[in-house]
Amino acid sequence: MTAPEIQKPLLDVRGLTIEIETRRGPAIIVDGINLTVGKGETVGVVGESGCGKSLTMLSLVRLLPNKIKVKGGTAEFAGRDLLKMSKSELRQVRGGKIGFVFQDPMTSLNPVMRIGDQLCEPLIYHRNMSKADAGKRAIELLRLVGIPGPEQRITAYPHELSGGMRQRVMIAMGLACDPELLIADEPTTALDVTIQAQIVDLVKDLRKKLNMSVVWITHDLALIAGLVDRVAVLYAGTVVEDAPVGELFARPTHPYTRGLLASIPKLSDERASRLSSIGGTPPEPGRRPKGCPFAPRCALAESICHERVPVLEPVAGHSGHRVACFVAQRQLKEAA
Amino acid sequence: MTITPVNLSSTVADDEPPVSLWRDAWHRLLRNKLAVAGLAVVILLAFVAVFGPWLTPYDFLTQDLEARNQAPSLAHLFGTDDLGRDVFSRVVYGTRTAFVVAIVVTTIAVAIGVTLGAMAGFFGGLFDRIVMWFTDMTMSVPNLLLVVVINASLKTPITAWMEARYQATLNPFYRETIWVDFLLVFGSMALISWPPYARLVRAQVLSIRGRPYVTAARALGLTNRLILMRYIVPNAIGPLIVSVSAGLGTAMVLESAFSFLGVGVNPPTPSWGNMISDGLRVWQHYPHLLAAPAAVLGLATVAFSFLGDGLNDALNPRGSK
Repeated sequence: MTAPEIQKPLLDVRGLTIEIETRRGPAIIVDGINLTVGKGETVGVVGESGCGKSLTMLSLVRLLPNKIKVKGGTAEFAGRDLLKMSKSELRQVRGGKIGFVFQDPMTSLNPVMRIGDQLCEPLIYHRNMSKADAGKRAIELLRLVGIPGPEQRITAYPHELSGGMRQRVMIAMGLACDPELLIADEPTTALDVTIQAQIVDLVKDLRKKLNMSVVWITHDLALIAGLVDRVAVLYAGTVVEDAPVGELFARPTHPYTRGLLASIPKLSDERASRLSSIGGTPPEPGRRPKGCPFAPRCALAESICHERVPVLEPVAGHSGHRVACFVAQRQLKEAA
Repeated sequence: MTITPVNLSSTVADDEPPVSLWRDAWHRLLRNKLAVAGLAVVILLAFVAVFGPWLTPYDFLTQDLEARNQAPSLAHLFGTDDLGRDVFSRVVYGTRTAFVVAIVVTTIAVAIGVTLGAMAGFFGGLFDRIVMWFTDMTMSVPNLLLVVVINASLKTPITAWMEARYQATLNPFYRETIWVDFLLVFGSMALISWPPYARLVRAQVLSIRGRPYVTAARALGLTNRLILMRYIVPNAIGPLIVSVSAGLGTAMVLESAFSFLGVGVNPPTPSWGNMISDGLRVWQHYPHLLAAPAAVLGLATVAFSFLGDGLNDALNPRGSK
C-alpha cells in the first residue's frame, strides 16, 4: 500500500454545524466540524458519548432524527456536496458509495428477513442484479467477512446468529456494493473484547483488499490504535485535535486528548492505583460555555480560554498535526 | 492477504434448519390448548360455511307447513321454525352469511386501515394529522347509529330505483335485491371497522420507524416504498394478525346485531341475527328457535377470541408470562 494520495480528499467536511430543537429553543450540538478523509485512508473519530460523533456521520447521508437539523457547512464527497444533493442522488450514495456499519448488531438487522435476503437488497437495488446473482454475491460477501458455511447461513434469521456474527453480516451489508467509503459507527461497542479484536482485524484486512476509505467512530482510542492512519478527537461537537495516529500517541497536545490517553489503564500500573479520569462532564447542548468548550474541565485553563474559542491550528514542526488550544499552542511556541 | 478463519461454528446449531419467526409462533400456538380448540371450531365453522349446501339435508327456504315448530329430532337436528323450515339448514346458511360478511368487511377494513395507518405513521406531518382526524371522527360516531342511518337512508332509494329499472326494462337482474343488502352491509360495516386497524398500524409503525434496522435500511439507500413494505409492515403484522382474528369475531357479532335490528341482511336470507330476532318472539314456547342460532353465534365469538388470545401469546411472546 502506498501512502494516502495527497490529491483532493474523498470526503471533505467543512464547518458542519448541527442543531437540535429543544423546548428552550435550538441548541448547537455539532459546532463547525472540519474533517477530511483521503482516498484509501482510515480515520478514527474519537470522543466520549454525546460529543456528536455519530450525528456528524449520520448527517453526511442526511439520516438525522427529526428534531436534529444541519444548520451550516458543506460535506463534499468525491466533489459533490452531500448536503445539497437531491433525494434520488442521495439514495445512490447511500449504500452504493458510502457503506454504513451500525453500533448495535442486535437491533440493526430486520428480524423478519433472512440475512441472505437482506444482503441481496442493496445489490438488487443499486446494482440491478438478478435475484440469483445477488444470492451468489451474498454468499461471497459472507465468506469475505469470515462467516463459516455461508451457503447455509444465508437462510438464517438474525436471531439465530451471535452478536459477532451479526456484526459481520452488517459489515458485509455495508460492503455489498463496493463503497468508496465505509463509515463504522462504534461497530464493536456491543461486542465482547475478543470479538472486538476480530472485527478490527477484519476491517483492517478488508480495507486493504478493497482499497476503500474508512471512518471508524469510537470512544476507545486503544482499540483502533493499530487500525487507523489518522485520529480526529472530538469534544462537545468540535474537533479539538487532529493528528496521524503515531504522532497523537507520541505527542498528545490537547489537554483533553492527554486526559483520554491517561485514562487508558496500563499493565504496568500499580494494582492499588486509581484509574485516571477527566473530572466533570461535557457541556449540555444549549449550555455551551462562551470560550473553549473544554475550559470548565481543563486544569490548564487560563482567562483567555473562557473568553474566546480556539481554532484548529497546525502544531509547528509536525506535519498533519493540528490542535485547538491556546495554552498548548503557547507552550509549544515557548519550547521551540 | 487472507482473513484469519475463526471458529464460529459453535454459535449456531449446525444441524437444525433455520426456524422462521412464523414457524416459531405456530409451534407456540399449538402448545396453547384453548387456542387450538378455538382454531378447531373456527376451521369447522369455515368448513360448514364453504360446504354448507352439501351438508344440509334441506334447503334453507323449503317450507314444510305440516311440520312447523317441531322440537329437535333426528329428521330435523335443530327442529323447525314457524314456517316449517329446517333450523339446522338455516343455521348452516347463516354461517355462510356470517363468514362472507366477516371476511369481506374485515378485508376492506384492514386494507383501508393498514394503508392509511402505515402511511400516516411513516410520513407523519400533515398527512398523519388528517388521517388521525378522520379516524377519530369516525370512531366518535356510535357504530349502530351510523349503520342504521346509512341503511335507512340509502336502502329505500336504491330499492325504489331498481324497481323502476325493472318496470322499464323487465330485466330480472333488477329484482335481485339480496346483493344490495350485502353491499350496504359490507360498505357500512367496513366504514366503521377500519379506524382501529389504522390506529394500531400507525402506532406500530411509529415505534418501528425509529428502530436501528430501519435507519440501516435507509443507509443502504432503499426507497421509502421498499422500507415500508419489507422492513416496517412485516414487523408490524404480529399485532395486526391478532387484531384481525378478534375482528372477524366482532364482525360476525356486528352483522348479527344489525340483522337482529333489521338493518342488516334481510329475510329470507338466513343470518344468525335475524334468526335470533325471530326466535326471541316465541322463545317461551319454542326455545330451540332462539337457542340454536344464539349458541352458534356464541361459539363462533368465543372461538375467535380464544384464537386471538393464543395468537397474541404466540406472536408477542415477551408480552405474556
